[in-house]
Amino acid sequence: MKTPDIDARGLECPGPVLETKKMLSQTDGRFTVLVDNEAARDNVSRFAVSSGCTVDMDEVDGCFLLAVTPGKTAARPKSEKTAPAARNREKIIFVSSDELGQGDGELGETLMKSFLYACTENDDTPSKFVFMNAGVKLVTVNEDTIEHLQDLEEKDVELLVCGTCLDFYGLKENLRVGRISNMYEIQSALIGADVLICL
Amino acid sequence: MGPGDLEKILSKLPVETSPRLLSRIDQGEDAGVFLLKDNLAIVQTLDFFPPMVDDPFTFGEIAAANALSDIYAMGATPVTAMNIVGFPCSLDMEILEEILKGGCGKVHEAGAVMLGGHTVDDEEPKYGLSVTGTIDPVDIKTVGGALERDIIVLTKPIGTGILTTSIKAEFITESEIADAIESMRTLNRKASEILFSHDVHACTDVTGFGLIGHLHDILKAGGVSCELWAGKVPLFEHTLEMASMGMMPGGLYRNRKFIGHWETRGEDVDPLLLECLYDPQTSGGLLAALPRKGAQDTLEELRKGPCPEAQAIGVITKGPEPFVTIQQECATQ
Repeated sequence: MKTPDIDARGLECPGPVLETKKMLSQTDGRFTVLVDNEAARDNVSRFAVSSGCTVDMDEVDGCFLLAVTPGKTAARPKSEKTAPAARNREKIIFVSSDELGQGDGELGETLMKSFLYACTENDDTPSKFVFMNAGVKLVTVNEDTIEHLQDLEEKDVELLVCGTCLDFYGLKENLRVGRISNMYEIQSALIGADVLICL
Repeated sequence: MGPGDLEKILSKLPVETSPRLLSRIDQGEDAGVFLLKDNLAIVQTLDFFPPMVDDPFTFGEIAAANALSDIYAMGATPVTAMNIVGFPCSLDMEILEEILKGGCGKVHEAGAVMLGGHTVDDEEPKYGLSVTGTIDPVDIKTVGGALERDIIVLTKPIGTGILTTSIKAEFITESEIADAIESMRTLNRKASEILFSHDVHACTDVTGFGLIGHLHDILKAGGVSCELWAGKVPLFEHTLEMASMGMMPGGLYRNRKFIGHWETRGEDVDPLLLECLYDPQTSGGLLAALPRKGAQDTLEELRKGPCPEAQAIGVITKGPEPFVTIQQECATQ
């Protein structure tokens, strides 16, 4: 019998699986594992199959020789600790004015409009916009920006609008896009953000 | 040790014949019962094993809860306990202190007194207890006594063998199996109080021989068979996932090898789930056969109280051969 790549005879479970896992992280080619009991045989096969490999088995002198062939798209075994599920990063844009930057008012309005348009064109969309103070005019009375924001909302971007600010400007009845929120939700959204951009 | 090897050795030992011995070792009884006087018997048991979790205090708690469980399975009250310790002298003694503190806390929670113990130098830490309980002989709940049509109730989910193997392999973290750890360190005290305030025909606790192993003890002792509903058996989170990745402990295979020939199963039974039914448990729940009438009320009381995941997992059927017929779901009710 050819020498097996892994001789896992005499190892208690989960030992044979751990040896197989180590080999799988080092090679893309077929390898063999020799085990001396049914528990190890079944565990190694299960592990290999759950990692996207195919397994052939031969019985030799009361031992089991498993030939493990990693699949082309073999899911790599997880790293030592189970990786937390990948989470999308929370990217928030905080808008506290209806103008972008400080300077000429007319220029500021134009820049804001084209910034929002640029957001609609980029596949890497933010997860949320928060509108406060004069920023609420962008979701109520500014036809140009409302259109871009509606496009963003369709792309599952959440638009939070400060209720106090709408009241103050008398614009509550004019809300065209987004939803009314409060300081608690806005505060915890800002604190929890991975990326926060303030306009 | 696996049930097969153990049975072989035990069969070679002389059979005790004292008229005051009320338990039989060959029937898979949880603990030994010895009559002291008319209305008083002592119930004795011991159990110890190597750590299955990293935290020494938690290990102490789990080992103690596991050892005390045999007393509760018989409906007795623990009164005294003694420590059994194997410990490498090279290890930090603070670890041993934590283990003992964890164990002592559980003994006190059980309302028993810690009398002392014995320590030996060992390559790997081991810990457990010898426990003595008392009971009026008329109240003893044995593994025998299950009757046809009885409902089989399990008070804790299973999967601790697979999950602790996954911890060893670092396939999962202890925080991901927090509910299983919490379950292992929970005494079966309250569960036994509720169960035995109702009519119970037979009872045992689920430990090293796995759910089917201990269920088989009930069948064998009662001269009955059963139908087990695999889909009803409560499992800890991640148990099936880890089983599918090859995290079955060696003890699971030994259990299945020993008892598997008593098993018949429906074609729709999930094969992976079937394996889990043989998973050796640490500090598992109580497994009882209850008369059908009133079983639902007992189950509700367990669920509202100490055992939110308690479940009716099968029904006792006609014997005398102890066959376990496994179905995915309950077909007859």
